[in-house]
Amino acid sequence: MDLKNITVKELRSKLDAKEIGAREAAALFLDEIKKNDDKVLSYITVTGDEAMKTADAAQKRIDAGDPAPLTGIPLALKDNLCTDGIRTTCSSRMLGDFVPPYSATAVEKLAAQDYVILGKVSMDEFAMGGSTQTSAFAKTKNPYDTERVPGGSSGGSAAAVAAGFCAAALGSDTGGSIRQPASFCGVTGLKPTYGRVSRYGLVAFASSLDQIGPIARTAEDCGIILNAIAGHDPKDATSKDVPFTDFNEKLGQSISGMRIAIPKEFYGDAVDEEVRTAVMNAAHEYEKMGAELVDCSISTLKYAVQAYYLISSAEAASNLSRYDGIKYGLRGEGHSFDEMIRDSRNRGFGAEVKRRILLGNYALSSGYYDAYYRKALALKQQIISEYNAVFENADVILTPTAPSVAYKIGVQDNDPVKMYTADICTVTVNIAGLPAINTTCGYDRDGMPIGMSIVGRRFDESTIIQTADAFEKTFSPVRCTL
Amino acid sequence: MDIATLDHICRLSKLNFTEEEQQKALAEMSDIIALMDTIKEYDITYDDTKDHNEIRYADLREDIPAPSFPTEKLQQNTSPRDNCYVVPKMME
Repeated sequence: MDLKNITVKELRSKLDAKEIGAREAAALFLDEIKKNDDKVLSYITVTGDEAMKTADAAQKRIDAGDPAPLTGIPLALKDNLCTDGIRTTCSSRMLGDFVPPYSATAVEKLAAQDYVILGKVSMDEFAMGGSTQTSAFAKTKNPYDTERVPGGSSGGSAAAVAAGFCAAALGSDTGGSIRQPASFCGVTGLKPTYGRVSRYGLVAFASSLDQIGPIARTAEDCGIILNAIAGHDPKDATSKDVPFTDFNEKLGQSISGMRIAIPKEFYGDAVDEEVRTAVMNAAHEYEKMGAELVDCSISTLKYAVQAYYLISSAEAASNLSRYDGIKYGLRGEGHSFDEMIRDSRNRGFGAEVKRRILLGNYALSSGYYDAYYRKALALKQQIISEYNAVFENADVILTPTAPSVAYKIGVQDNDPVKMYTADICTVTVNIAGLPAINTTCGYDRDGMPIGMSIVGRRFDESTIIQTADAFEKTFSPVRCTL
Repeated sequence: MDIATLDHICRLSKLNFTEEEQQKALAEMSDIIALMDTIKEYDITYDDTKDHNEIRYADLREDIPAPSFPTEKLQQNTSPRDNCYVVPKMME
């Protein structure tokens, strides 16, 4: 049986119908990883034994007639999600040997459904980057063209799903880190509303922006996974107690009459023409379904990348100050306490992480705080106001996910400013704490996937899943072959 | 950004650079700060009273003492001596 392109929903049916066993499903994915991941480098740690152990537990539950939606479903986890007893590196030499003493709440929630863990997948170091090329352990490649980046920071998650190395995966999104790699790898990725999923056990990058979410083959699969991981958690004070029943509850409902906002700033010259055309073609497809396109403006987009990098780097500088090599992490050498800490950090962090720490401490330091950090917070308030205004007249917002398709490896490595400005289409959603989903809407002349983002009101994930699903049902994806 | 500012930020960040690394970092940080400087064009002031992601006391869990992780599990990522983390002398 070939499971490479199977959806979570389809695999659920096969497991329940006993057409395949949980152990057999896990073994097929592990075999695929063994055969082909040397071309993609998506996994940092493959957990073969743990996969079989969790598959056996899942099979017992299936045999007892009590399966949950994810029982026996083989998943990959981004390597910044703490897993009790399983190495969690954050793709950093700093945490190269780190074994967490506990699991993230999102992981515990998957375990409560008896999912099957295949392993931990690569990412940009500490989730800082958009290419997965800052990983210290696995510089993941795009399965559609292994000379190109898979996007990032959840590039391992997106590439593993696209290549058929798992049924779906968890990623995290601070400034586009689920949606942009999903776009580059031709899969569906959902960034939930800030506060929808507990961040407990997610290695912190920028705490006011980070959010865990699914990457899968369909919007419906994203809804199934979000159903499992969402909810208030007393261990994360920023998680919200907003009730939900089923994020897929609107699937199949007509989108006729839905108002879809098209913010003009997202369709300017900074976005490649092929990308603009593909997203606008999708917008017109929605029109054919009876939706109404509404022009709108997010005028602060011009300053969004700056606000995002100032806020996220300030928080990163603070969050990463914990890495001193004492209780865990790479231990450096030195004759004094201070020398030892500096050596630990010099050797443990890569170049991009150091740049973000420097920028963050610069923005927070005396004399610069008001000009940079507080100004960025002011822009955050303005961006939120602008989105609120748009949602007074629209149900969802449609934008490109990235200005271009996946680019060649090495093209942006030495140009941080170019790398940062490439985040233009995704960062405002994190700043405003909104939910957004990427799905594929076309392919460029080289066959590389083009993604579009559907942005929703806070805690209205079900509408963006419904909207993405409506398009997916009209679209024939071209799956990659390795 | 000048060398003195970079030195100051490196101290705050607990990072060291060799002379060659310092020159590269200076060029990169200058480019990044130039991008960030464009934010100054935008005439807007932060309103402290209007924070959208506030954490309310009501959202915080009650502070109830409960068993923590076993000591050996918390120390599994280092080489403790007599349950202590060993570091170089802080004071001579």
